[in-house]
Amino acid sequence: MLVLLDSLPIFSAFSVSLAVCILSAFFFLHPRVPLRFIRLHVGIITFPVLISLLALITTDASTIIGPWRLDSLAWLMVLFVLTIGLVVQRYSVRYLLGDRSYRKYFALLTFTSGSASFTWLSNDLRWLVVWWGLTLLGLLLLVSVNREWKVAGIAAIFSGRLFIISWLALLAATLWFWQATGHWQLSLMMAKDSLAQVSSWERTGINLLLVLAVIIPAAQWPFQRWLLESVVAPTPVSAVMHAGLVNAGGIMLTRFAPLFSGDIAQIFLVIISGISILLGTGIILVQVDYKRQLVGSTIAQMGFMLIQCALGAYLAAIIHLVLHGLFKATLFLQAGSAVRRYERTSRPIQLSSFLWMIVGSACGLFVAIYDWLTAPEIGYQVISALILGYALFFAWTQLVAFGAGLIGRIAGLFLLGGAVMVFIMIHAAFYALLHETVDHVVQPPALVVILIMVILLSGSALGIWFTRHRSSASFAILYLWLVRLSEPQSDSVESHPDYLARSLYWGGNRR
Amino acid sequence: MTVTSTLTEKLNLQKEKLTPDAPHLDLNDLVKAASRVIAPLWPIATFAARNPWMGFEGQTFEQTARWLKDTRDVEIYPCASLIHAAQKRGEVDEDFLEMALQRWLDVQSVDLPLGVAERFCRAALKLDELPSVLLESPELKILAEKLSALMPQNPEKHPLKPLSLCLEEQSGEKVAHALDHHMIKWCKLFLDESQAAWSLPNREEGFYRAWRRLIQYDPALSYTQRQRLKDWPQEAETALKKALSALKIPQSEMRDYLEAHLLALPGWAGMMLWRSQQSTQESSLLTEYLAVRISMEWILIKPHLPLLKQKSEEQLSLVPLIAAWIHWGDMTMEAWEKLSVLEQKARLTLARRFDETVRRRLWLEAWEQTYTDQLMKMISSKKRESDQKKRALAQFAFCIDVRSEPFRRKLEKAGPFETYGMAGFFGLPIMTCELGSKHAHSSLPVILKPQYQVKESSPEFELKSYQQRRQTVNSFGYMFKMMKQNLLASLLLPEVSGPLLCLQMLGRSLVPRSAGQMIRKLRKAWLRKPSTELSLNRENHLETELPIGFSEEEKVHFVRQALKMMGLTNHFAPLVVICGHGSHSTNNPYAAALDCGACGGASGGFNARVLAALCNLPKIREILATEGILIPEDTVFVAAEHITTLDELRFIYVPELSDAAQAAFQQIQTLLPKVSQDANAERLSQLPSLGFRSKDPRVEAQRFAEDWSEVRPEWGLARNAAFIIGHRRLTQECNLEGRVFLHSYDWQKDQDGTLLSNIIAGPVTVAQWINLQYYASTVAPHYYGSGNKATQTVTGGLGVMQGNASDLLSGLPWQSVMRSDQEVYHAPLRLLVVIQAPQEYVERLMDHDPAFHRKVQNGWLRLASIDPEGHWKIWS
Repeated sequence: MLVLLDSLPIFSAFSVSLAVCILSAFFFLHPRVPLRFIRLHVGIITFPVLISLLALITTDASTIIGPWRLDSLAWLMVLFVLTIGLVVQRYSVRYLLGDRSYRKYFALLTFTSGSASFTWLSNDLRWLVVWWGLTLLGLLLLVSVNREWKVAGIAAIFSGRLFIISWLALLAATLWFWQATGHWQLSLMMAKDSLAQVSSWERTGINLLLVLAVIIPAAQWPFQRWLLESVVAPTPVSAVMHAGLVNAGGIMLTRFAPLFSGDIAQIFLVIISGISILLGTGIILVQVDYKRQLVGSTIAQMGFMLIQCALGAYLAAIIHLVLHGLFKATLFLQAGSAVRRYERTSRPIQLSSFLWMIVGSACGLFVAIYDWLTAPEIGYQVISALILGYALFFAWTQLVAFGAGLIGRIAGLFLLGGAVMVFIMIHAAFYALLHETVDHVVQPPALVVILIMVILLSGSALGIWFTRHRSSASFAILYLWLVRLSEPQSDSVESHPDYLARSLYWGGNRR
Repeated sequence: MTVTSTLTEKLNLQKEKLTPDAPHLDLNDLVKAASRVIAPLWPIATFAARNPWMGFEGQTFEQTARWLKDTRDVEIYPCASLIHAAQKRGEVDEDFLEMALQRWLDVQSVDLPLGVAERFCRAALKLDELPSVLLESPELKILAEKLSALMPQNPEKHPLKPLSLCLEEQSGEKVAHALDHHMIKWCKLFLDESQAAWSLPNREEGFYRAWRRLIQYDPALSYTQRQRLKDWPQEAETALKKALSALKIPQSEMRDYLEAHLLALPGWAGMMLWRSQQSTQESSLLTEYLAVRISMEWILIKPHLPLLKQKSEEQLSLVPLIAAWIHWGDMTMEAWEKLSVLEQKARLTLARRFDETVRRRLWLEAWEQTYTDQLMKMISSKKRESDQKKRALAQFAFCIDVRSEPFRRKLEKAGPFETYGMAGFFGLPIMTCELGSKHAHSSLPVILKPQYQVKESSPEFELKSYQQRRQTVNSFGYMFKMMKQNLLASLLLPEVSGPLLCLQMLGRSLVPRSAGQMIRKLRKAWLRKPSTELSLNRENHLETELPIGFSEEEKVHFVRQALKMMGLTNHFAPLVVICGHGSHSTNNPYAAALDCGACGGASGGFNARVLAALCNLPKIREILATEGILIPEDTVFVAAEHITTLDELRFIYVPELSDAAQAAFQQIQTLLPKVSQDANAERLSQLPSLGFRSKDPRVEAQRFAEDWSEVRPEWGLARNAAFIIGHRRLTQECNLEGRVFLHSYDWQKDQDGTLLSNIIAGPVTVAQWINLQYYASTVAPHYYGSGNKATQTVTGGLGVMQGNASDLLSGLPWQSVMRSDQEVYHAPLRLLVVIQAPQEYVERLMDHDPAFHRKVQNGWLRLASIDPEGHWKIWS
C-alpha cells in the first residue's frame, strides 16, 4: 500500500528543485564556469523528474493550491515533459559539444521544459496563458540559437508569427470565458453551474478560438508549414518540439472537456484533423528526407490525437500523445541511423503464406469485434476497433504470414503477442492513473463518427487506388501537390551552409 | 614531357573553343569535358575518400584556387584565422615564410627598391584586413579615379556565370536560388531508392523524361511558366541544345556555361555523374541533369530576357590597391600623391600581384615546409642503430591508415613484434559477400574495379536457419517502416512501439555504454552467425558477372604480390597477423568514413581473412618456395580486425596453430589489453572531453563507440599530413602522432622499381584523395564539407543535406575537422610523400609515371626522398 503524501510538501519540493535547475542552467551560461559543470547540471535536472514521478504515484485526488492544480494528469504531463527534457539535455551534452552556443542551449532547454511543466500544473488560466507563452518563446529561441545561419532565423520568424496567433487565440478564449463565467480558475469554470452561464453561441465562439489555439502548435492543415520549416533546427531541438510542444492541444482540450464536448466546434476540428491525417500520411509517402518524413508523421499523429479529443475519448488522446512523444523523440534522436546499408531481399510468396494470412484476417476481425462489443460507448470505439483490427491484420501479414521460415514466424508471433500484452498493460496503467481526473468518454454525435470513418476509409481506398494507377495524370498531380505541400519555402533553403565559411573566417572572434 | 602534354591539351581546348561553327556539336562530349569540375559522389553508406579536384590536376593548385574563387567565390587556401591558429601552436616557422617571400620577390620584376617592396609585403603578410574606413574614404576614391586613366585596362576575362545568377546579382530577384531549390527537389525525388513509398512517377524512364512528363503539372511553377514548356523536346540532348540557344549562349562558351551550372550544386551533380558511370543505361544522366537544369533556368528567367550585357570590361578597382599601400606600406595619402606616376604604377603592380591568394599561398607553403622540416629532424635524429636479426615472435601487417601508426608503435614496444604496412585491401581486387547476404561490396579502393568475388559459406542446414534469423531482424525494421507508411496502421504505431522505443531511449541516455553494448550483444546472440568458409577456389557460375574465387596461379600471384608489397619475403615469424581495420560508432551517418578507405568504406577484416587463408595453403607455399619465398612450416597466418574506435585487435580467423605459433598467439593475447589501454590513452587525450568518467581509457573508448549522441566517436584520419614509403626501422623510434601513412618498402628488393610505381599508383593516390578531402572540408567547409552534424538530415538513404534542403553534401562534416566552432583540429596540409630510396629511383618513377609527376609539379602533393645515407631531397 502506498503512503499517501500530502500534496503541498511535494509540490514545494518540486518547485524548489525546478528553480535550482533553472538557476544551474543560468549559472552555466557564464563563460567562466568550466564546461565540465554540465555533468553536474544533468544530475540536477534529474531531481524534478524523480519528484514528479513520486507525486504521480502518490497523488490520488485533485488538490488545488493557489493557482496550481495538482492531479494525476498534471503530474503525468510534468513527468513526461521533464523526462523528454532530461533525455534531450543528456543527448546534447555530447551532440552539441563544441557548438558556439553550447551553454545557451542548456539554458533554453531547461527554461522551456520548466515553463511547459508549470503550464500543465496551472489551474489559473492567466498563469496557464503566461507559462504557455514562455514555452513557445523558449522554443522559438531554441530554433534560432544559431544567429549566423540565415535560414534558421527565417524559420523562427515564420513559426513565431503563427505562435503569436495561436497564443492570442488562447488569450482571447480565456478572457471571453472569464467574462462569461467570472472565474479565472479552470476548475471553477468547468463546474456545471458556471458552464450553464455560458450561452451556446458563446460556447461555440470560445471553442473555435480554442481549436485555433491548438491546431497551430499541432501543425494541422492549413498551419502545417511552420513545422516543415523547422527541420532546420538542430536534432535535439526538433526532438523537444515534436515530443513536448505539438501535442499541447490534447492536454488543453482534455482540460476544457466539459466545455468542448458536444459542441459544433467538434465537427470543425474533425474536418481539419481528418485532412491533416491524410496530408501527413501523404507526406510520408512521397518525401525522401528522413526528418521531413518524421514531420509528416507528426502531422498525421496529431490529427489523430485531436480526432480522439473531438470524439470525447480524452483518455485515449492522452495515452496517444504521451506514447507518440516518446516514440517521436527517439526517432529524431536516432535520425543519424537512417542511412541505407543493404537492400532488402525479396521474399517468395508461398501458398502457406495465404493460409497464414487468412488466420491473420480472422484474428484482426475478432479483435475488432471484441473491442467494439466490450466497450460501453459506441463512438470512439468504432474507430479504435477499425484501427486496432486493421493494424493487427497488417502486422500479422508482415511478420507472421510472410515471416522468414519457421523461426521468423515464431519470432513474429512472439513480437506480436508481446506488443499486444504491452499495449494492454500500458492502457490499463494509464486508465488506473487517470480515470478519475480525465473525463470519461462522452457520446459524440453519430455524424462525427461517420465523418471520420469516411475520411479514414476513403483515404485508405484512395491510397490503394493511386498505388495501382501510378502512370495516371491524376497520380502525378497528387504526387506533385504532396511534394509541394511538404517542401520548405525557397527562403528557408540554402544550397550551401555559407555561415560555416564565415565562422571559420572569423575564427570565433565574432558573435 | 608532362609539361608539353598539358600544353597540347590546353591548345586543343582552345582550338575547340575557337572554332565556333563546328559542324557537329556533340553535347555529350561537351558535358563530359565540363564534368571535370565536379567529382563523382557515391552513397554515404560506402563513404570513401574522394578528391574533389580530381579533374583539375592538369593545372596547378594555384590556378585552380584562382579559378574557383572567380567562378564560385570559394577559397581553397587556408584563411587567416586558420593560419594564425597554426602559428600560435608553433606549426609555422616564420623563417620559412620569409624565405618563401624572398623567392617570390626574386621572380617579380617590379621597378621598386627592394626594401620598400619587402616592407610592404611583410606587412601585408600579417593577413589583417584593410580597414573599411580607409576603403570607403572619399579622398581615396578621387585618387583612384585620377589614376585609373593612367593604368592599363584589366585584360583578364570575366568568369562566365549562369544567367540566373547574373540576373540575381543585377535585380536582386532570387532566380538562381529558386533554380537551385527546384533542382534539389527533382534530384532527391529521382535518386531516392528506399525512403519514399511512392517513388517519382515515370522514374524508370530516366531523369529527363520523368521531369518532362511531370513538369506540366508541377504546382511549384506558375501556370504561365508551365505553359512555356508545352512543346519542349522529349529528348534530353535536344532540350539542352534548345535551352542553350534560347539563352543565346555562343557555342564557344557552352562548355564554360555548363561548368558554371555543374558547380552550382556539385553534390547532386556529382551523384548523377557517379550513377552515370555505374550502368550503361544511365550513361547520359549528367546530360539529362543539365538539360533539366538549363531548361528550368530558361523557364524562370524567360520574362527577363535578354539580360543587360554584363559589364564585361569591368575595371579592376584601384581603391583596394592604393588602400593596401597606405595601410601596409605605412604611407599617408599626401605621401602617395607626392610619388611620381611611375613610382605609383610600380607600387600598384606589386600590390596587384601580391594579392590575397599569393599571401595565403606563401603561408600555406611555409606551414607545409615547417612540417617537412620537423619530420625530417625527427626521423634523422632518431635512427635505430641495431639492425635486429633475431627472429621476431610475431609479425603484423597493418593498413597504411594513419590510425595504425600509434597502435603499431605501442605494439612494438610491448614485445618482440615486427609490424608492416600496406594498403588495407591487401592487393585483393575482390567483391565480398557476407554470409546470407545478396549484397556484394566492392572491397577495394574506388579507383580500381573488382575482378573476383569471394563469398562466405557454411553448411546448408546452418545457413538456412541463420538466414531466417537474419531476415527476422530485417523484417522487424521493414514492418516498422511499412506500418509508418500505412494510413490506418501508422496511427497505432506509436502506441505499440512507443514503450519499447522509450526503454531504448532511457537506456541509451542514462547508461549509454552498457545499453549500446547490450543491444549489440542481443543482436549477436540472436543471429548466432555460424562459422564460415571462404570461396577461395574458382567456381564457375554463369549467373555472376565476376568469377568466384581464384585459380591457382591467381592465388600465387596475389600472395606473392601482397608479401612483396609489405616487404615480408624472408625471416618469417611463427605467427603472422594480417590486420584489417574497421570502426564502431552509433547513430552516425558517417560511420563508413571511419572505416577502411582502401576497402571502399567498409571494414578490411574480410580482405585480411582472405589473404591469411591464401597464405596458409600448402600448395601455394610450395610454389612460392620455388621462387625463393620460403615460408617455414611452423609459420601460421591469422587474420584480425583493428577496431580503430576502441584500439582493439579482434581475431577473426585463427586456423590450427603450430606450437611456436600457439606460444606467440598466447603471448599476444596477454599483451594486447595493455597495448590497447596505452593506445587508447594517447588517442583519447586528443578528443574533446568533459572530464572522463572512467579511469580505464578502454571503458571510455567504449562509451565513445556506443553513445548515440556522440558526434566525434574518433578523429578518423584528421591531421593526416605525410606518407612515408620506407622501412619501418626508419620511423620506429618516432612518435608520428597518428599523422602519417606508413607503407613498407625496401628499395633493395625492388631493382626495377615496379613495387614503387605500384605503391605510388595505388596507395599513394588513395591517401592523396583522403588528404585532399580533409583539406577541402577544412578550408571550405560550406562547399566541400558536409556541414554541421546537428542540423543534417539524411535524404533518400544516400546522403545528407543541411537544414531544410541543400546540395547533397560530399565531404567531411564540420565536427570531423573542427574541435569546436572556434577551434580547428585538422591541419590543412597537402600530403607529403617521403620515399626512402636512392635518387635514381625517384627520377625513374617520375619518368614512368607522368600523372604522378604532374601532381608533384602542380602542387597537388609534395615529394621528398631519403637516400641510403639518410640525406633528404625535396622534389617539389
